[in-house]
Formats: sequence, structure tokens, C-alpha cells
Amino acid sequence: MSNWYKTAGPKDDIAVSSRIRLARNLKGMPFPSRMTTEQRIELNNRVKEAILGSNTPFAKTLKYIDMRDVPETQKYAMVERHIISPEFANKTEPTAIILSGDESISIMIGEEDHIRIQVILSGLQLNEAYDIAERIDALLYDSLHFAFDSRLGFLTECPTNLGTGLRASVMLHLPALESSGEIENLGSSIGKIGFTVRGMYGEGSKSLASLYQISNQITLGLSEKNALDNLKIITTQLIEKELESRNNLNQLGIEDICYRALGTLQNARILSSKEMMSLLSSVKLGASMGILNIEASPLEILIEAQPFMLCQKYGILEPQDRDIYRANMVREKLK
Amino acid sequence: MLCEKCGKNHATTHIKTVVNGVIREYNLCDSCAANSGYATNSLTGMLASMFGDFTKQESLIPQTKCSVCGATFRDIAKSGKVGCGECYNTFYDELLPYLKRVHGSTKHVGKVPCSAPLTVIQKGETIEDLRNELARLVREENYEQAAVVRDKIKEMEAGENE
Ligand SMILES: [Zn+2]
Ligand SMILES: [Zn+2]
Repeated sequence: MSNWYKTAGPKDDIAVSSRIRLARNLKGMPFPSRMTTEQRIELNNRVKEAILGSNTPFAKTLKYIDMRDVPETQKYAMVERHIISPEFANKTEPTAIILSGDESISIMIGEEDHIRIQVILSGLQLNEAYDIAERIDALLYDSLHFAFDSRLGFLTECPTNLGTGLRASVMLHLPALESSGEIENLGSSIGKIGFTVRGMYGEGSKSLASLYQISNQITLGLSEKNALDNLKIITTQLIEKELESRNNLNQLGIEDICYRALGTLQNARILSSKEMMSLLSSVKLGASMGILNIEASPLEILIEAQPFMLCQKYGILEPQDRDIYRANMVREKLK
Repeated sequence: MLCEKCGKNHATTHIKTVVNGVIREYNLCDSCAANSGYATNSLTGMLASMFGDFTKQESLIPQTKCSVCGATFRDIAKSGKVGCGECYNTFYDELLPYLKRVHGSTKHVGKVPCSAPLTVIQKGETIEDLRNELARLVREENYEQAAVVRDKIKEMEAGENE
């Protein structure tokens, strides 16, 4: 198996990825912001032992990495692959991560909570991702005691995660809803029912690549199953609305945009990440509407041409050199 | 320190972020941080400001310290971060109104930590399974977890009648 962005998944023409994150803390230990360095090291060791010491065949597929051994470039490249959070990459305290070979499972140790189990899969696979996360949860629980209260559920450093500790999200490609302006209205009505819509890769609520992340906000008073079911319903509705909205687009106009985008990407010599993202979004739209026939995956290119991903591959690059390397790489992939 | 964006409000959120491959640091106020899409920080900010209303009434703040981590309710209110699991027990009454505002509820209805058989939310789990589970827990006099399973059964029954 390969990374989520290199793998095909159900409905991935619109639903790019599904992510599950479970927050867990150990009983009797202060939460990360009040931990001493010694306690952090102890935490890392206890979680490592709980997973890798379990000797299950599953545990043998996972690897423990001390984040102090990971260079900055690689840390931020991990952020760009959605393996760890930017907050975690910024941490200077001793933290660690347990990672599966395909990076679909990442267990962050010492982020905002003691343990953050994350599972990310391509396409719309919320149940599948949740099942994996639950297996890891059970494995951890075999040897660790979690901070839990029968009234309040799993206890977390920030009360916004309290209860199930579950944050489920899907990343959707919504260019038609974005261009019609509907995404803003949809976002505010989704907000009213306890979910958030956030533009990825952009400033504020706008997204450079028309990628939006939908996640649950409420974790207390709602079961895991309900949170997942509701997210699936919202996702399905958004996908339908996006398809509807695509049908209303001017056919010749959209063909023009898609072909021009592909033409630019196939010929550019200097390509900023901003320009690349908006063009790749049009190419992805064109491919999923059957206008463009390309073999490469626009999303895979988008991830691999992120600044630190390029540095990881070609060495540390100045921003202007990076734009040249990016243009070369994109041309090669879309040849 | 003033907010770098609006220059008017006090900067409360320190953000280290990566923009086009360059690490940048910002000091923003709550509303500018929220407008720039820093959801997690703004939630913490929102929470701290919600607690803020309360901390104005100094005399009402309990002086109690958490026995495990030493945090006071004031520490929690200021940072929007809870010190440890025991804090939720120590400051349960103080925290409750804020939990209600954030989640609209103060009662956990999800999974409980337990070795495999009790994991309540399993796909395809039937009411029958849960009833057996409830019976087992009552037999074992594990009333706390039995209550959770009972709520689960109620929820499923309600779902069936819809
Ligand atoms: Zn401001
Ligand atoms: Zn405490």
C-alpha cells in the first residue's frame, strides 16, 4: 500500500481524503502544556512500549520515530503530506510519532494531548479509517490507563475535544460550488449543525485549490457513530450539490479553462505554488468531468510539489529556485 | 503587544506557520486569528474569552488547586487549557456551563474505555448484544458502565422508532 495521495479511493473525484483523529490522555499525568521534559520522555516510552511491545502482527508494521531526530525540512514535509499537524512540527519539546509504512496511521505523542491517533485514507472511507483508529485505541488500552470520566468521557487538554475525542473530517474538491459562491452559504448552515467547513491551502476561508475540509465540532453528547453518520450525510449532500452545480456550468467555458490550465502546467518554466494549485484544481475538475484525459493524479502532483516536499527531494532550495524545480517536475508528470 | 494585523487589539494568539515554504511568526488578536482561519487557536481564544467573563468576578473564583497538577481554575480560564484529567473532577461545577456552551451537552454518550467486549459502538451491533452486555455488567455490579450501555440501548430504540 502507498500514501493516501498516491492511492485511488471511493468517490475520490470529489472526496479527496478521509481522516479520523482520536485524542487520548493517560491517567495521573498532567496534560502536555503542564508536563516536564522528564514526563514527556516517560510518556514517549510508555506509548512506544504499549504499541511496539504488544508483539501483535499489526504492531510490527509500525515504526517509532523520535521527532528530535527529524530535520525541520522533513517535519514540514510531513505536515504537507497531512501526517502531522503544524503545531506538532513546531514543538521543541521531546515528542515522538509512531508511523505505519504507508503513513496512513500516525500516532502523535505529546501534541496537544498525550496521544493523537490519526488515520488518513484516500477517498470517502470514514468507517474504514475509524475501524483502524479503534483497533489502535484498543491496543493502547490493553496496557495504558486513559483519563476518562463516566460523565464527561475521554478527558482532553482543550475542552473542545472532550467526550469522544473524535475529530472526523473529509477533504472535498468543490470548484463549482466555490465559483457559484454557494460554498459560503453552505458553510454557514453546516456550521449551525455542529460541523465546520474550512478552506485548505489559502488565506482565511478561501481555498487556492478549491479544497475544503468538513469536520465535526461537537464531541460531547454525541456518539462516535452519530458523528460519523452525520458527517457522511453532509458529505454526500455536498457531493451531490457540487455535481449539480457542475452541470450548470457553461460547457465551452469550462473546457476552455481546463485546457488552458493543462497547457500552462505542461509548458511553464517557472511555477509558484499558488499558481500551480489553482491550475491543478482546474485540471482535476477537467479530468473528473471527462474533459481532460490525463494519467497523472493532479492531487499527487499538488502534494509532491509543496515547498518542503520539493526540498526533501532536491535539497534545500531558495524560493525562486523552488519555482523552477516545481515547473520541471510538473511538466515531467503531465507529459 | 498589539495585534500585527489590525494594530488595535491586544495580541493573544502567537502563530508559527508556513507560507509558501517560509516559516513566519505572527502575533494576532482573537478576531484577526479567527479571520485568518486559525480555527484551533481561535477556539482556544474563544474559550479563554468565555472564561474571561467569569474571571472578572474575582471573588467567585475558587482558590482550590488541583491535587494532581496544581492548576487553579484561574490558570485554566486564562489559557483555555485544562491542566490534567483530575482538573475536570476538581473544577467540574465551574467547567460545566462552558462545556454546555461549547457542545450543547454535558453528558458523554460515546464509547467507554474497556477491553474488547465492552466497546459499545461497533458496526452491526444489535440491541440484543447490548442487552446481554447490560445483563453481564449488572451481574458484575459494574453499574457505572451499565448506565452507559443502558443509555446506548435507549438511543438505539429511539432510532428504531423514528
Ligand atoms: Zn487584530
Ligand atoms: Zn489538574
